[in-house]
Amino acid sequence: MNHRFESALANVILYGSMAAGLVFFYVPIFTLIAFSFQEGRFLTLPFDGISLKWYGALFQSGPALNALWNSTLIAVVATFVATIVGTMAAIVAVRYCFKGKRAFQGLAGAPLAFPQLLLGIVLLLWFSVLGRWFGFNTGIVTAIIGHVVYIAPFVMVIVAVQVYNFDPVLEDAARDCGATTWEVYRHVTIPLLWPGIFSAAIFAFLLSWGNFYITYSLAGSTRTIPTFIFSGIAVGSSPLYPAIATVVFIPGILLVILANRFRIRAAAA
Amino acid sequence: MDMEVSRIWRDPELWVKALPSVILQTTCFLAPLVMTFILTFQKTQNFQLNWTWNLATWTDVFTKPHYWTILGHTLFMALACVVVCIVIAFPIAYGLATRFRAYDSEIKVLITFAFITDATLKTFGWVLFLDKKGAANYLFAHLGLPQETVAFLFSDWATLLGMVYNLLPFAIFTIYLSIDNIERSLILAAYDAGASKFRAFWEVTLPLSRPGIWAGSVLIFLLGVGVFLEPKVLGGGKSPMSAELIRQTFETRVNWPLGAALTLVLMVVAIFVVLLFSRVAGMRKAGA
Repeated sequence: MNHRFESALANVILYGSMAAGLVFFYVPIFTLIAFSFQEGRFLTLPFDGISLKWYGALFQSGPALNALWNSTLIAVVATFVATIVGTMAAIVAVRYCFKGKRAFQGLAGAPLAFPQLLLGIVLLLWFSVLGRWFGFNTGIVTAIIGHVVYIAPFVMVIVAVQVYNFDPVLEDAARDCGATTWEVYRHVTIPLLWPGIFSAAIFAFLLSWGNFYITYSLAGSTRTIPTFIFSGIAVGSSPLYPAIATVVFIPGILLVILANRFRIRAAAA
Repeated sequence: MDMEVSRIWRDPELWVKALPSVILQTTCFLAPLVMTFILTFQKTQNFQLNWTWNLATWTDVFTKPHYWTILGHTLFMALACVVVCIVIAFPIAYGLATRFRAYDSEIKVLITFAFITDATLKTFGWVLFLDKKGAANYLFAHLGLPQETVAFLFSDWATLLGMVYNLLPFAIFTIYLSIDNIERSLILAAYDAGASKFRAFWEVTLPLSRPGIWAGSVLIFLLGVGVFLEPKVLGGGKSPMSAELIRQTFETRVNWPLGAALTLVLMVVAIFVVLLFSRVAGMRKAGA
């Protein structure tokens, strides 16, 4: 094969597949955005007209706003806990040498490769049995615990990359200058790891915010955005659901952009 | 440079940092798994769990071919999803690592956002797109194609499309990382030795990206056997997969021991398939 033909062919394949891939990723997203502007009651084309009336309906819908609030509450608490647990696990998994390190990495990261629905079901069994013994029901608290189990390993992996690139000599230098363990953390370790921790936290927040499977099993009668949408998935439902989706996309894309900024800063540090 | 600071496990700092994860994953991951196993040896009576040890559930599981047919179908769908994902993800990841330096960060943001957005929303979007009166047919009709060109919603093809859509980013990320780590000098050396672009790709880049392909495949397979949203919403629940069967066993039939047993069978079989494939891949490498 001649050289120029080879290059041209490679470019066609690579640029073409990237373009096709991005279109593929955004087909359902743009479909939802488009349908949120449908004026009529039904989710079929052609539209009766273009309007923002379903956004108005959304902000007057008690169940939708309640679901939005529950999603946010669960995600904020779960992210806070998972970020602390995951960051410490990342430091242990990369910086320490000890017997059983492999076992620790495996245990702390295992839920990453475990199907979420099954994780939810296994935890539901656990909490149901414990609940019968100790007298509690599944609800927001059990959902938060489930989310932490699922997202802490993600935080661990993202922060571990940052810890791996960070020179431990800096900590030793601070210690040699007489800093206490806490001072080393406060003034050296945490500031250097901060961009990585922050982008991991954003990632964790979004994973928890949009989580369907675990919430579905563990939240009891509490509805979050994903479970609320699931109850309304059908072509017969109203454009209220695409409107919710569009509203949810905005903070999502902004947070992903923010996390990317932090990731770039982390890579530069 | 030695990254690791050697410390012994008696160090109290190590304990403080390791314990939260260890406690969390032991009490809320390992212990529930062990309990799931124990539950399979109990009974249900009048929709209530009855703590009497017996093997009825396991006899049921191993005598009804129905469960195994569904399991087979699930494994097949997950494997098909792995193959399609790797084939699509490879050129995207390769392009991202070698061609799009200027837009690198924007493309990553776009892929990450698509990945991290709520799966129920995206699946719903596909329903609206693929429906008989949906966006795809509307667009195609305007392009002059016959009515209802796109008519595969509520079939296994739609399920597969949804699975590929939701799991593809895992393959893109893992393959991208392994290609990005390849030393540029190795490829230049291949060119110096007279290799064509294609040959250098075939003999240097592709073998060196194997870890990423493997990691992506394992992740997609393990997550793929557990999908429930796609077969239910896009597949229309016509040919149920294991996760749906398990959910029904818990919710509709309220048979916890059976649900627990089916959950474990699915995980054990999936892990067995992964080990089998890694054995085969390992042997091929040793033989080569």
